[in-house]
Amino acid sequence: MTDPEGTAAAPAAPSGNGAKPIFEAQGVVKRFGGIRAVDGASMRVREGSITALIGPNGAGKTTFFNVITGFYRPDGGGATFEGRPVLGQTPYAIARRGMVRTFQITKALAAMPVIDNMMLAAPNQPGERLVNLIAHPREWRRRETEVHDQAMELLDVFDLSKLADTYAGHLSGGQRKLLELARALMTKPRFLLLDEPMAGINPTLGRRLLEHMQRLRTEAGVTFLFVEHDMEVVMGHSDRVVVMAQGRVIADGKPDEVRTDQAVIDAYLGGG
Amino acid sequence: MTDVLPLAVSFEALTSMGFWLGVGVIAGAYTIFTLGLQLNVGFTGIYNFGQAGFMAVGAYSMAIFVTDTGINFWLALPLSMLITIAFGLIVGLPSLRLRADYFAIATIAASEAIRLTALNARDLTGGAQGIFGFGDSWESLQDTIEGWLMDLGWSDPDTLAPLFIVVWIVAIGLTFLLSRVQGTPWGRVLRAVREDEDAARALGKNAYSYKLQSLAISAALAAIAGFFLAINLAFVIPDEFGPTFTFVGYSMLVLGGLASYWGVAIGAIIFETLLEGLRFIDLPISEVKIAALRFIILGLILIGLMAFRPQGILGKREEMVLGD
Repeated sequence: MTDPEGTAAAPAAPSGNGAKPIFEAQGVVKRFGGIRAVDGASMRVREGSITALIGPNGAGKTTFFNVITGFYRPDGGGATFEGRPVLGQTPYAIARRGMVRTFQITKALAAMPVIDNMMLAAPNQPGERLVNLIAHPREWRRRETEVHDQAMELLDVFDLSKLADTYAGHLSGGQRKLLELARALMTKPRFLLLDEPMAGINPTLGRRLLEHMQRLRTEAGVTFLFVEHDMEVVMGHSDRVVVMAQGRVIADGKPDEVRTDQAVIDAYLGGG
Repeated sequence: MTDVLPLAVSFEALTSMGFWLGVGVIAGAYTIFTLGLQLNVGFTGIYNFGQAGFMAVGAYSMAIFVTDTGINFWLALPLSMLITIAFGLIVGLPSLRLRADYFAIATIAASEAIRLTALNARDLTGGAQGIFGFGDSWESLQDTIEGWLMDLGWSDPDTLAPLFIVVWIVAIGLTFLLSRVQGTPWGRVLRAVREDEDAARALGKNAYSYKLQSLAISAALAAIAGFFLAINLAFVIPDEFGPTFTFVGYSMLVLGGLASYWGVAIGAIIFETLLEGLRFIDLPISEVKIAALRFIILGLILIGLMAFRPQGILGKREEMVLGD
């Protein structure tokens, strides 16, 4: 993943510098028993940026993700999304606001066809409420057709349209990662949080995933925060890098600044 | 009733219309009962083991409304369904937040609590003797249907024929309705919750609310099954609503196949036919032993099914394998 070509495809577009934050966390704490997995983490994600969240194993990146997306109840701190509080809300409420996450271990809905995975994610489907099935049969059917077309278009972009009717469980690991990203995009997110999107997929597919992110940022204005293990992977592809170690944010800056940051080097070399 | 549940071992009974209509009525009631389990287990992934308890609430509410308060039978039915739905919500609100296995235990406990209440709250439920005398309205409908059957040329319709016809119209209607609903966006969210609750939540779906809805509808179906069971027996007693009823429903569910509403009817018919048909095994052993042998044979058939067709008769193997 340390190829120079990948670096060449890096942000030509607005780097998000100086833009207002779309997301801001202040002193977020999450304890498990006596362990403070997230220990007062604070960070900002600038609107329109691709921000990488990196850190050594056990730094609390995934826990932080789970707290800010509502999957874990926070033990302290605060966070805002688009200026309004977000910490402590339920996962589905956060997702509906346009702050949508994916998972480290892909959660493809295996026993559902790919197309159903996609259509499920579409917002504003009146047919998801029982009363509307009878009360507004036309409306939900119309929305269903609309959503189906959008889903097929997106699957096309990700080279998955031929697999539309295949059970998601039959996809390869890499295809599942793509499906999960495509599915998240069906929700029309403004802020996408990807937990190790490149883990377990081959470098070519990983590069394509990064290209998709770049394109979505420029074309749809989606802001990205993605967790990554490997520092080198993120350097060429992100405008901002946030580094976590031992439950705290220890550095936040442009890739080059972070790379040379002494605290970061120490953390990665096990100095902490 | 004795001609419906024969204890005598005779070939004549095996070919008797009245006997098989009786089996058909039970299979129909079980179908409606198990449709609820299919909705919960096959499509939502929640293991409701309290279905017999919900059935008891439905049947007892109806019986109490009609005999104690004098409410019209036809009005008592929807009212009892509403009460059962309320019970489903009361059980589900706290327990659906639990992990799947704890939820299963919580529901079986709720179901037993309901049965034991029915057994002991004698003023309300008549205790072990149960409640009689709620069937007048049904009997007048039964007479009407018998009249229609005679008009159609059936000179002497069996007394169970009207109930058989009505229970299966309802069972098939509900199966059709549920299959249709499953194909809607609402049904798609249910399946997503079954597959992975967290993924559904991450996509903006309130998984908890869908699980509650699933349980409430299932409870309503149990209530309907309870009405038919009560009409068939002409009384309600606590013994009818033990956990075994739920377990038999699960056997039918697995036999017919998970995630297939039409499989439920097939599972119920095959199971009941085998169970009742096996009464007529002619062996030189005592009736008690034959009664036990029925369940042994049925058990072996179910084990065989699991070995050779684990997805059940109409279940999709792919969905089962990919499910976890």
